[in-house]
Amino acid sequence: MLTQYLFVFAQVHDEFRVPELLSISELYGFEIKFPENPEDKDTSRPFMILELESEEHARLLASRCILIKYVCEFYARGKSYDEIHERNRLRKPQWEKYIEDTSFKFLVTAFNHTIPQWRQKDVVESFSYMDFRGKIDMKNPDITLACFEEYPDKHGTTREKTEGDGEFDEVWFGRLIEVGLARPLVKKFDVKKRVYFGNTSMEAEMSLLMANQTLASPGKLVYDPFVGTGSIAYTTAHFGAFVFGSDIDGRQIRGKVKPPGIIRAAAQYGVANRIMDLCTFDVTQNPWRCGELFDAIVTDPPYGVRAGAKRLGRKNKRPPREGPLPVHVERPDDQPYVPPTKPYELSELARDLVLLARYMLKPRGRLVFFLPTVTEEYEELDVQAMLCEGMEIVANSLQNFGSWGRRLITIRKTTTKKFSPPTFDPAHAVTDNVDAHVPAHKDFREKYFQGFKKNDAIADSEARED
Amino acid sequence: MLLEACSLCYSVLYSSILAVLAGMVRLITHNLLACHAKGCTSNNFPLQFQDAAIELRDAEFNADFLRGFLPRIEWPALVGAARQLGDASLPAEQPEMLDDEFLQKLHHVLLEIHVEEGAMVCPNCKHVYPISNGIPNMLLAEHEIG
Repeated sequence: MLTQYLFVFAQVHDEFRVPELLSISELYGFEIKFPENPEDKDTSRPFMILELESEEHARLLASRCILIKYVCEFYARGKSYDEIHERNRLRKPQWEKYIEDTSFKFLVTAFNHTIPQWRQKDVVESFSYMDFRGKIDMKNPDITLACFEEYPDKHGTTREKTEGDGEFDEVWFGRLIEVGLARPLVKKFDVKKRVYFGNTSMEAEMSLLMANQTLASPGKLVYDPFVGTGSIAYTTAHFGAFVFGSDIDGRQIRGKVKPPGIIRAAAQYGVANRIMDLCTFDVTQNPWRCGELFDAIVTDPPYGVRAGAKRLGRKNKRPPREGPLPVHVERPDDQPYVPPTKPYELSELARDLVLLARYMLKPRGRLVFFLPTVTEEYEELDVQAMLCEGMEIVANSLQNFGSWGRRLITIRKTTTKKFSPPTFDPAHAVTDNVDAHVPAHKDFREKYFQGFKKNDAIADSEARED
Repeated sequence: MLLEACSLCYSVLYSSILAVLAGMVRLITHNLLACHAKGCTSNNFPLQFQDAAIELRDAEFNADFLRGFLPRIEWPALVGAARQLGDASLPAEQPEMLDDEFLQKLHHVLLEIHVEEGAMVCPNCKHVYPISNGIPNMLLAEHEIG
């Protein structure tokens, strides 16, 4: 028997809401039934009614989903209080067990509005027909009844504080089960309060959403091949997983003082012993002895705006050296040898990452990564074209910045077949093939610095410069 | 005066916390890394520790993780590396029975022995991968990449 639960979500990253719910239900192995009416699953609204098998499942979602603010046992919704009371009366079998001797309190609140205190009191009193005889306890009640009024977005208009009070679109009512327990983690992992971060550190909320997409939990091993300053490692480790990080640039991992920056920040969050190890290497020239090691690969690849992606090699090939190899000489400044690097084009990197993940992930393991893209030019094929046999899209959520955005892509390895390690050979890059689909994220860096002008506009401006 | 004393205590406390923190190179990682220099494709594993400075640090015990990871481990390489670092607790042959006593030993060797400084050397091409602050530098030089 499925029961209806009222979920109240934070009104941010709306495309991430459903993928997060699905990930956490998959992690704990239960089903969620979503509303059938498209209007009832509109993610631009904070409310959604989901059907679950048990209250325990509702609690699990509230304990892990970053975007959940409240979960309630659903009693009624209505366009007016008359309507909601009428429907709530029909739900009496659900709440009559609380009538006799249960202490309670009411929570009356609104979205896009503040209800004046005097009317909050009126709202509470309008529920008096429920005839709850237990004592009112504002501090430790046995149950909390929650009433939410939903107002249209009045952002950007000037108005009196209580103007339009009572003119809500809809009102929702239920018994509060849990306040979102994972939501406060956004504050805990705030980058500004972190002892070590860099200019490419991922914001806390996104790092947490990414960690949830990996299905991180105790006993799992997760790998970030572009670990940088470790933003995603901390949140993934927080949920219990061991994390392995590598980066071509060891300075990002270490910072300027000892011990290494990532270890210091991990210690701040109490997860230093879940950082399995950190290594300096280029993922295209990696030392992994075998594949199928990781439960998930999660990463924010450098896409060239604040830090360009690099791989070992030289931009312009040098003629082969004549004579013997150079003799190893210690550098006088005690700094390690830094080999030359060349740029790593984004669509090539994305394609390589999918191939690497297929090799390095265990069956059913997940690859979770950000793909920046040009809003106007993006098409679904851009992401489909990155896939290869045995890799399947689970989620694709846009964080929109206007002319560009980034998509959090979640891919599952669906195969148990063995594959050889990827060659990372640029000659095999799909984008070099003239017949192949050219994704909107190809040469993202160049497009970003040209302000996402259309190709002909660029040609025009170049012609003028001539 | 009081304030000074406090800040002194604090700095002593803080540095003692930091003393137990560092990078690592645990033996689990050592067991997964092979030399990847151009053309070095045989006898390139396991890498040999050189001048290893080790530290022991407690880690979270998770039996499911150990059982799940065991099939990925190259057993003789793990036993060899542990012995090289002075830990002879593991049997030369991987036991069939994964009892708790064995898992505890495996846990200690895989996750609690940390190499802080030194190097890992390829048994075949002799490439030296330095370890500094517990972070191994596995970058290849220009003439070593394929």
